[in-house]
Amino acid sequence: MAEEYVVQMKGITKVYPNGIAANQDVDFNVRKGEIHALMGENGAGKSTLMKMLFGLEQPTSGEIWVNGEKVNLSSPAVAISKGIGMVHQHFMLVPSLTVAENMVLGMVPKKSGLFIDQKKAVEITEEYSRKFNLEVDPNAKVMDIPVGMKQKVEILKALVRGAKILILDEPTAVLTTQETTELFRELVNLKNQGYTLIFISHKLNEIMEITDRMTILRGGKSMGVHETKDVTAEEISRLMVGRDVVLKVQKDKAQPGDEVLRVRDLEYVNEWGKKMLDKVSFSLRRGEILGIAGVEGNGQKELVDMLFHLNVPNAGTATVNGENILGVSQRKIREKGVSLVPEDRMLYGIAGAASIQENMIADRCGSKRLNKGPMFDMKSIHAEVDQLIQDYTVLCKSGSQRVDNLSGGNIQKVVVAREFSNNPCLIIADQPTRGIDVGATEFIRKKLVELSRAGVAVLLVSADLNEVMELSDSLMVMCGGRIAAYFEDTSELSDEVMGEYMLGLKRQTPEEVRRVCHE
Amino acid sequence: MNEKKAMQAARRRSLTFTLVRGAAAIGIALLVAAVLIFVSADGDRLAHTGEALRQLLIGPLFRSNGSINVKNICDVLAAMIPTIFTGLATCVMFSANQFNLGAEGGIMLGAFVSALFAVYVPLPAGVLPVVAVLAAAAAVSVMMLIPAVLKAKLGVSEMVNSLMLNYVVMYLIKYLLNTHLADKTKGQIQSYPFQEQARIAPLIDNGSMLTWGFVIALIFVVLTSLFMYRTRWGYGIRMIGINQDFARYSGMNVAAIVILSQVLGGALAGIGGGVEMLGRYSAYSWNALPGYGWTGITVAILAGNNPAFVPLAAFFMAYLNKGCLLMSTYCGVPSQLIDILQAVIFVFFAAKQFLAKYRQRLVVKGAQEELAAQKAAAAEAAAETAEGSVK
Repeated sequence: MAEEYVVQMKGITKVYPNGIAANQDVDFNVRKGEIHALMGENGAGKSTLMKMLFGLEQPTSGEIWVNGEKVNLSSPAVAISKGIGMVHQHFMLVPSLTVAENMVLGMVPKKSGLFIDQKKAVEITEEYSRKFNLEVDPNAKVMDIPVGMKQKVEILKALVRGAKILILDEPTAVLTTQETTELFRELVNLKNQGYTLIFISHKLNEIMEITDRMTILRGGKSMGVHETKDVTAEEISRLMVGRDVVLKVQKDKAQPGDEVLRVRDLEYVNEWGKKMLDKVSFSLRRGEILGIAGVEGNGQKELVDMLFHLNVPNAGTATVNGENILGVSQRKIREKGVSLVPEDRMLYGIAGAASIQENMIADRCGSKRLNKGPMFDMKSIHAEVDQLIQDYTVLCKSGSQRVDNLSGGNIQKVVVAREFSNNPCLIIADQPTRGIDVGATEFIRKKLVELSRAGVAVLLVSADLNEVMELSDSLMVMCGGRIAAYFEDTSELSDEVMGEYMLGLKRQTPEEVRRVCHE
Repeated sequence: MNEKKAMQAARRRSLTFTLVRGAAAIGIALLVAAVLIFVSADGDRLAHTGEALRQLLIGPLFRSNGSINVKNICDVLAAMIPTIFTGLATCVMFSANQFNLGAEGGIMLGAFVSALFAVYVPLPAGVLPVVAVLAAAAAVSVMMLIPAVLKAKLGVSEMVNSLMLNYVVMYLIKYLLNTHLADKTKGQIQSYPFQEQARIAPLIDNGSMLTWGFVIALIFVVLTSLFMYRTRWGYGIRMIGINQDFARYSGMNVAAIVILSQVLGGALAGIGGGVEMLGRYSAYSWNALPGYGWTGITVAILAGNNPAFVPLAAFFMAYLNKGCLLMSTYCGVPSQLIDILQAVIFVFFAAKQFLAKYRQRLVVKGAQEELAAQKAAAAEAAAETAEGSVK
């Protein structure tokens, strides 16, 4: 019954120029009108497989059939002409153009053959918006609209181009709970109109909620196709990682000690005059994990940048164990025992073209134990790096392998190995598990808990609501550059309450928020 | 054990690729050269082209009667001395992502300063050349501080600055030489002769200018390699070259390393200038930029910014130059062809995508072999356990 499939990928193998076999003999079939999940850890080959279906990459061997016809998807343009659309994880929109202009990019309606017909563009946008019940504001500039709406624009963009098969690459990664619920309603609506959806995600509960069938990849190979209603979340997680992943983090109750990090009245106005931090004050104590939740772009990034001198605030103070850390060089900050797991690991976390070893010793290359006189002591460097690779289970051939040949999860383990192993008294973990596989995520979370219970102060910034709520002992919510809420005990919080604070529907009184200063 | 094998296989593959690629680049360049010579030749074109290519390819090694030409080989090695130094200097600076082109003016300044010492400073034999060369290194380091500090403190492009600085240095030297330092008894503008004890002694006495400078150059190749790959400063230089944001975040002092890399590059270029001047000449007479700095950039790029490969690249350039010279001397091939030839080779070396498909095939093959090996190992293990259970 080959006809029932709209997409058939047969025996797909893809070897990248760096020698990584991202897919090995993968079969992937999607029925018409279903929501099909593509699951797997990071580095399992999901993105690669989808890039080939969207014409961004070409398979080394194997065949792709669309609507019963063998196709050669040599570019996204070809894929689009076959009715395939992709909604990327990182939006492919022009921020300075309006929603309508983005919609018609590359297929602009013309007025007298020369000028852009703005009115027509808006009409097209409104027509599709109504038809698919995806509400957008055609005249707003993309940079001014919220993330959830950007995603709708992306989906509409694909639909306008005639897509019947939509690939959604981790669509919920950037959304709030409410926005996710809304997205799911829209996706089901699309499905009912006969569209086929391929849904890439790590999040088990989402998969269980909205998909019909799923294909699971592990290590570049297919682990089979399953009807969603026939499998449990535990079974899926076993298939993905080949063992039982503990989805809950075990941790004892925190025993907060002395104050380590003290931030008072931090203010920052960005280069476009927008106030990103507004009188942010909090204290963080030994042995405590303080989470910062919030929709991205509400000042979390700026806060972390200030604390590690990647940016300079307009006003306020920040001290670690009583010593100022604002406007001080990173070396001095590190000497005070501050470690940072940066949000953007490819920009700050690693030197891609360097080896694992060179990446792991970056912060300690001047230390006595790794140097003999003017020269590196290669023996102790090898010993230290091999130990770290072992302790942090970095999957690699050896320490001399290039770090950018590793998968996302293993790159993050390299970063974490370096940042956690230099006797920190304060760890700032900014999105420590974003976009990495379940195994690595679990490992890093466990390490964070372990370190905090050993007396390290941990500031955890995460857009992953599950993560902050699971890991944190106490929790702040940031909204519009301010601390909107503080919860001393996270265990009794619910997603819904959090969502209301994150979206700015509710705000605690200044007195309630002030409790986080522990004065 | 298996992992080691896999690593070795990967390294072998990348070496195979580099060699094949280099050979292909040279092959294509020769083909272009052959066509050009053929077109421009008179009389028996085929024979003429053949003879010209023979001179180019093996002229530096053999005489026409087939015996080995020691003098020519020594000439080639001697020509490597300055370009090894400028190549090393450029390697260090480019590794830090500092596109400083000042090795050209640097080697000229180094030569000039060491010449001043050789003429005017009365020091005993053995001491004078060392002092003169060290003074050259110091002078060029100071010169490189200008683009380096401007870059580190104000973010001014070191490329533009160092490029212009070359000409400032050249005209300054010309001015000093013409007005104050020239030996008026000579027919051309040159300094007074060096003191005898300032000269760097020849390695082989056959008039080839192959001096102990060659040995010094090789020692500096080793020192620079060790510095770049075995010390924290060289490590810092390479890290800011790969990812400056990462280096800063890791706690490295980026501004200091930016300055260090260029000062060090300056020192290397200065030493090169001193060694070349005291080895090859008996008085200072350079009136224009010598060109070794430009060649040094080519050498550094051919060597992939790895100091260990600099001698190879320098040898290649020197050999090519000698071959082209012989070709133009004995076969009347226009010397401009040298430039065309070098340009063609260079283009193919520098082109990242050249033969990328071939590399991909090599890599795919390797990955498949690895998978097959894994499968075989797994099957073996399975068979063993099956055997075990039967027993």
